[in-house]
Amino acid sequence: MLRRPSSVQAQLLASLLAAVVLVWSVATAVTWRDASHELEELLDSHLAQAAALLVAQQAHGLEHDDSSMDAPTLHRYAPRVAFQVWHEGQLALRSSNAPTEPMVPLVRSAAGQAAPVSPRHTGALDTALSTVDIAGTAWRVFTALGAESDVQVIVGEQLASRQAIGLAMLRGMLWPLALSLPLLAALVWWAVHRGLAPLRTLSQQLAVRPPHDTTAVTMPGAQPPAEMAPLVDALNGLLDRIKDMVASERRFTADAAHELRTPIAGIRAQAQVALAETDAEERRHALLATLAGCDRASHLVEQLLTLSRLEAGNAPPMQRLDLSALTRQVAASVVPMALARRQNWSLDADQASWIMGNPALVSALLRNLLDNAMRYSPDGAEVAVTLAPAGDQVQLTVEDSGPGLSDDELGRLGQRFFRVLGSGQPGSGLGWSIVQRIAAAHDAQIRAGRSSRLGGLQVSVRWPAA
Amino acid sequence: MRILLAEDDPLLGDGLRAGLRQAGFQVDWVRDGQAAEREMRAHPYAAAVLDLGLPRLDGMQVLSQVRHAGVRLPVLILTARDAIPDRIKGLDAGADDYIVKPIDLDELAARLRALVRRAHGQADERLHVGEVVLDPASRSVHRQGQPIGLSPREFDLLQALMLNADRVLSREQLEQQLYSWGQEVDSNAVEFHVHNLRKKLGAPFIQTVRGIGYMVSRPAAGTPC
Repeated sequence: MLRRPSSVQAQLLASLLAAVVLVWSVATAVTWRDASHELEELLDSHLAQAAALLVAQQAHGLEHDDSSMDAPTLHRYAPRVAFQVWHEGQLALRSSNAPTEPMVPLVRSAAGQAAPVSPRHTGALDTALSTVDIAGTAWRVFTALGAESDVQVIVGEQLASRQAIGLAMLRGMLWPLALSLPLLAALVWWAVHRGLAPLRTLSQQLAVRPPHDTTAVTMPGAQPPAEMAPLVDALNGLLDRIKDMVASERRFTADAAHELRTPIAGIRAQAQVALAETDAEERRHALLATLAGCDRASHLVEQLLTLSRLEAGNAPPMQRLDLSALTRQVAASVVPMALARRQNWSLDADQASWIMGNPALVSALLRNLLDNAMRYSPDGAEVAVTLAPAGDQVQLTVEDSGPGLSDDELGRLGQRFFRVLGSGQPGSGLGWSIVQRIAAAHDAQIRAGRSSRLGGLQVSVRWPAA
Repeated sequence: MRILLAEDDPLLGDGLRAGLRQAGFQVDWVRDGQAAEREMRAHPYAAAVLDLGLPRLDGMQVLSQVRHAGVRLPVLILTARDAIPDRIKGLDAGADDYIVKPIDLDELAARLRALVRRAHGQADERLHVGEVVLDPASRSVHRQGQPIGLSPREFDLLQALMLNADRVLSREQLEQQLYSWGQEVDSNAVEFHVHNLRKKLGAPFIQTVRGIGYMVSRPAAGTPC
């Protein structure tokens, strides 16, 4: 399943907005809770005060008034506020929206003494407060007793009106948030977009860059921002490495083409000679030389392919293999040529020596080493191949009684197409490079020097034993 | 014509030597730069074919060293290096021609003949002295329009003399032009070939300068021949 790539901009935007909403909401909740509590107390005290006022008024002269008198409605909130004044169990005064029944059960005292306590005398406001249900509506009711206990004043307020205030307050706090969120989002989006501009510039620059362009990436204008400098540096480091690699590949291709020219020139010259030659023996010589040239060219191509496969950097599949058996096998293919040159070869590899390796590559390494020993040692030379354990390693040594190499030549071994000069041998100049690469792929150490036993070249390869 | 071939590749060297011999050259083959430098100084070759990637001494160094020593023989560089800067460097170091491998043997022979001709200040490929015309490309000689049959040695000797018309060549110089290494030189081979040439071309054509050697001379201007 395809996943959409995450966007830094979207992530930043989402998390910033979420944080704003969260903080704001918590602040709102806390404020609302505190304010509601304060409001509750304030309104309760208002109820108490209104009741006290009515009680005081009642004491001064409403005794003779008509009991059914209604108080006028003075305010739009008034329908939500109601009061009743009861005198000796009779409704003496009520607001127009107050029911004719007592909003709370009336206090009756057998002794005619006032049972509930006047707030003025006790200050116990809460005891006189209650929440009741009247005709399906919740009321907050305060009951006060007059100085003479036959007067009871009940003041009520619809709870809904309190909730309306609370909600209005909440709205007041949440509306600005709701309004400012899109604005904030736009602002954040713009800021992030602007902040990411160098990244976009960089990607545009890279997108239009031709593949061969490995010059350093530069940010237009001044320095890249501090956060981007490591990215740009790393990118430029990579480009440098790519440049080196491409240059080395190009050099290799050019070198390889040049190296192929000489055998091809040889083949062409020999073929042309054979074509023009009238002497049968001379023509035969030229044709044989043409064939030898073809073999040499194909050997060079083979070596080039081996090398390029090795340089591609793919780890070859490894398996446990017996180096001594492989050495005997490769030696068997080289020795006939060595015998033809009357060379005296000895092979000491009787003990099985197990290593982890790729059979094809290890064979190629052995063939190159033994082939070199055969080619670059003179006729009648002595060549010794030894395989012996060395600690937790296996050491293969190939030494000969040939002229060996000078220090300068030893230093240049492994340069592509470097051939030991004056040997008269048509090597590809790639053998040592191949040996080195294969050894490296197997974590084997390789060393070339002078043989103390035979006086010529000595090459030793140490493999980790398996 | 005797030329020096400096090429380290056994196959190519062998092929070039055989091919140039077929084209009528005497070829001395050396396989490293030091030998090339030594031989160019030591022998009066008509021309040299020089590979650049030579062991011991690079072809470019060989060239600048012999040029520095005043050796003027025409040098043709034959190499796998085809980059323009390499060509320029080669020509600037004193090469007279620069060819990239691989090469057609006939073209190589033609270029060598052209180099030799130019080195002797000629515009025409054919050599004219008096009534005798020598064509190096077809290895033919005509006298008054009539073909003259010559042996390869006689042809080489006549070519050497005609290339150096009005100059005296010693017997040793002529021997060096005629024989490459390892070829047996008869002590009076030159006299023998000169004798035969005189029979075929008329006795006065080759003059003997007593005690020095032989020469052919162009007729003086205005003198009927």
